[in-house]
Amino acid sequence: MDKRLKSSEREAFRLIEEMLQLMESRGLVELEMEHQGLRIRLKKASTSPTPQVVEYVAGIPQPIAPPGSAKAAEDTHRIVIKSPMVGTFYRAPAPDAPPFVEIGHDIEVGQVVCIVEAMKLMNEIKSEVAGRITEVLVDNGAPVEFGQPLFVVEPPQ
Amino acid sequence: MFSKILIANRGEIAIRVIRACKEMGIRTVAVYSEADRNSLHVRLADEAVCIGGPKAEQSYLNIPAIISAAEIADVDGIHPGYGFLSQNAHFAEICESCNITFIGPSAQSIRLMGDKIAAKDLMRKSGIPIIPGSMSAVKNKEDALKTARRTGYPVIVKASAGGGGRGMRVCHNDVRLISALMTCQAEAQASFGSGDVFVEKYLQAPRHIEFQILADKTGHTLHLGERDCTIQRRHQKLIEESPSPVVDPKLRRKMGELAVRAAKAANYTSVGTVEFLLDQDGSFYFIEMNTRIQVEHPVTEAVTGIDLIKAQIRVAAGEPLDFKQDDVRLDGWAIECRINAEDPSNGFSPCPGRIAAYHQPGGRGVRVDTHVFAGYEVPPYYDSLLAKLITTGETREEAIRVMQRALDEFLIEPLRTTIPLHKQIFSDPTFWRGQISTDYIDRQLQLGENE
Repeated sequence: MDKRLKSSEREAFRLIEEMLQLMESRGLVELEMEHQGLRIRLKKASTSPTPQVVEYVAGIPQPIAPPGSAKAAEDTHRIVIKSPMVGTFYRAPAPDAPPFVEIGHDIEVGQVVCIVEAMKLMNEIKSEVAGRITEVLVDNGAPVEFGQPLFVVEPPQ
Repeated sequence: MFSKILIANRGEIAIRVIRACKEMGIRTVAVYSEADRNSLHVRLADEAVCIGGPKAEQSYLNIPAIISAAEIADVDGIHPGYGFLSQNAHFAEICESCNITFIGPSAQSIRLMGDKIAAKDLMRKSGIPIIPGSMSAVKNKEDALKTARRTGYPVIVKASAGGGGRGMRVCHNDVRLISALMTCQAEAQASFGSGDVFVEKYLQAPRHIEFQILADKTGHTLHLGERDCTIQRRHQKLIEESPSPVVDPKLRRKMGELAVRAAKAANYTSVGTVEFLLDQDGSFYFIEMNTRIQVEHPVTEAVTGIDLIKAQIRVAAGEPLDFKQDDVRLDGWAIECRINAEDPSNGFSPCPGRIAAYHQPGGRGVRVDTHVFAGYEVPPYYDSLLAKLITTGETREEAIRVMQRALDEFLIEPLRTTIPLHKQIFSDPTFWRGQISTDYIDRQLQLGENE
């Protein structure tokens, strides 16, 4: 590597290397990442159209909740509220009631943000952080697993 | 027949169950702790649910989490494997109340056989020989001393709610007995939730002979021969074989009938194992019944040709057994070695860590049941079993030779494992002659130290 590169370019190379490793280890075809104002998108060249002998590969197990809803927030400006248990996610205390929180709401520590129902028990999930809800990651009534991201919260400035 | 089964376990047994389900066209759901995110059983199942943190209590022993996962995945059966919740009667009951079939015996059978004192009592009433000793929980020191003097030293103090070789202490005199009582009671309370202990005559140099039971829900009960699990360390099995070198057809018939009687007395269904101790004079005694599939089930599968997990699932689905006791034959010989991530040269201390290089033996007569692979990080939270190496042969000698060459091929680096110890045992003429007893390992290890 050219030592005369600016630190921001070195940073970019580092990020690209990490992304390439991630793509290899997870078998991804396309990956886009944003980090401190820098956005990089990598896409593998399309594979040859000629048919190849395909070995049987163990299917990737389907997580109960679709992977699209589990956006990991690595950024220090975003905090994720994760489910502390397995069950069914409900946004409101009752089917006809308004949701506990919406995007844009400010929440406090200890505030109930949702319900996760497990074995017929409605467990109120309390936030351990304060801030503003910026994303709701799971659909109402969808199953969630332990540690699954539910909400993205922007901490107070 | 089940359409979807959740496997409430991890490691090699989870894979074993997933394999059987796949072959039967049953969909599988794996549950995993955060420490097992990259585990093989998670990758092989059709669906997977993260149920909790790395510790067993947070995940694999977490009943609400597992039941919740079963509900959201909409399964109709749960297979508990071995260990964890497999002998938890409460868990079996909750499954039933949630309309999910627990693939195992009834909660009642689990409860009955889980109480060692009650099990002994039931056996006695059924005319099955039991080890002389206390017939109820030890009430006080005097009670224990009286029992010990009646049966004669040495005696063993055992936890009534214990199992898997834990919560036991051998005593050779009154002084040791009294101190063992207190330690065992405390250990039992802490590990099993009950401080009840009892005292039994301790057999010198016995052999551990267990019978595999298979029973359907119509009451048809049969045995699939014996396994000899005499090679143990601190009551933990290391090597198992079927058949036993010291059980002839006549003894097999006799012990087998009693094993079936024991299972019937407990109204047993599913797979289970009746354990006996065989004394040097040929007398044998019931010690306990395990109400689950066992680690060493592959040796029975090898000599009988019966897939025990598939049989277990079919029986749980209500299917009657389609063969009789007379149809069961033991052909050839099978031996299993448990390959643990432990350092035999350092007190068997557990050695978790990352497996950098891995190559398992193969070829004719070799079966390996494992969940590990190159690059796998062995977590420190669970038991140390890495793999089961099972070899078969037409004779015991052939099975031993296959095992020797298979052990030489087995590569698990850089972890310390029990492979070197197994190599030592399999080259020992005493083992070849089959002249072993349950104190074999301790004596072997002493020999190793003296060299």
